[in-house]
Amino acid sequence: MQKGYVQVTDSYERILHWMLAISCLLLCVTGLGMMFQTFNFIGYLFGGLKSLKLVHNFTGLVFAASLILVIRMWWKEAGVFVFPEDLEWIKVAGGYLWHVDKVPETGKYNPGQKLFFLTVVGAGILMIITGLIMWFPTALPAGLVRWMYPLHALGFVAIFAFFFIHLYLGTIGNPGTVPAMLTGWMDRAVLKKQHPGWLKEMEHEGKLVVYGEEKKSGAHGHHA
Amino acid sequence: MNKQPELVKLIDTTLCTACRGCQVACKQWNELPGLKTKQLGTYQNPPDLQWNTWTLIRFQEYEDKAGNFQWIFRKDGCMHCTDAACVKVCPSGSLYYTPLKTVGIHRDKCIGCKECVSACPFHIPKYDAKTDKVYKCDLCYSRIKESHAPACVKSCPTGALTIGDKDAMIKKAYARVKELGSDANVYGDKFVDGTHVIYVLQFKPEVYEELPVNPKVPLSVIVWKDLLKPLSLLAAGGVLGGAFLHYMIHGPKYPDLPKDENTEGGK
Repeated sequence: MQKGYVQVTDSYERILHWMLAISCLLLCVTGLGMMFQTFNFIGYLFGGLKSLKLVHNFTGLVFAASLILVIRMWWKEAGVFVFPEDLEWIKVAGGYLWHVDKVPETGKYNPGQKLFFLTVVGAGILMIITGLIMWFPTALPAGLVRWMYPLHALGFVAIFAFFFIHLYLGTIGNPGTVPAMLTGWMDRAVLKKQHPGWLKEMEHEGKLVVYGEEKKSGAHGHHA
Repeated sequence: MNKQPELVKLIDTTLCTACRGCQVACKQWNELPGLKTKQLGTYQNPPDLQWNTWTLIRFQEYEDKAGNFQWIFRKDGCMHCTDAACVKVCPSGSLYYTPLKTVGIHRDKCIGCKECVSACPFHIPKYDAKTDKVYKCDLCYSRIKESHAPACVKSCPTGALTIGDKDAMIKKAYARVKELGSDANVYGDKFVDGTHVIYVLQFKPEVYEELPVNPKVPLSVIVWKDLLKPLSLLAAGGVLGGAFLHYMIHGPKYPDLPKDENTEGGK
């Protein structure tokens, strides 16, 4: 940690993020093992396809629990668009696609991040509902159960594609942002570029937690 | 060209006397236990196909518009589709096409996901919770691959069940239908690219209980397997390609230099 770094997430946020991320990834990998016979070999890692199915089903429960907590935690910050600033940001695609002199300032999370969050929430809920029915398919009429499989696949199309977008934008696409989900402390220069609106707001309200500066620490306990 | 004969089992419902010899022979050859069932006021027993009952004679009391009564018997079981929804959805390769074009089942590969149970247009595969596996008729693959008739065919005393080369059996079915006249029809050769079990029905298909009039691979299975499955990989690949191009052409979003000079890196 360097002096002047700013705290952007607390430990509760980071733990939940990784619970959701790891369970989601495990679900993708085990799901692929059952979705494509070409990937049946993934079953060997779990002691056979039957155990792979069990790992998939029970990981789904961890994912569901994590998702509910994540929605509770981030809904206010990342679940609702704030106008007009979010619309202004969308109009210039956040400066990601063409040159923009000044990217409009938004709240803590920009509309791109919000879109990702909402996709995970929407597709995640779809996966949980369809997945549970697929777990106990004989409880409902076959004509209805049949459609759970393509819906589950549709959710996967969205989540799998968005995973790679998230991976790129959260790492090499935006250098300096990875620590937000590791240590929770970010370089002020990166923040100034990525989240200037939030930085100003926090400074204005005197809530900013800066490493090495005397201030009440918000490192523990989440208040969202 | 194809040395393996494509077999078709013909069920001539007009010759069936409902002796249920086939039902017993099936259990015997496949070593399936009998389970206690309830008497529901019909000879149809068990009430439906079960994990331990792969073929079943359905008893149906039928009265036509003229008030003529007839007791209809129909041997139910796997139709062995050429385009089989169950094979299409099976994630583990447990359900498969045998060289004889019938639908076989590798029970050791079955993971008990029950995807085939809801996919089958004929409602054939049955799940057993105790073994966590799915069961259905495999047209006695262990017998037909050694050129023996399936147990049900072997047991049939009236000639209602016969098996043979596909073309010959279809020809035979149509000849029989011509002979019977009236509403008699051949059921099975026209849908799911042709089934390997076909019926000679005395009445129109809609008369028979539990017999779909127009069975096909469900649309949901086609959307799922032929559309969304490849799309999932294409979309992810597209994103990876897009991210690569973005990094190369537009470049990542670096923080501004301390002096706040407008640096257009790489352009």
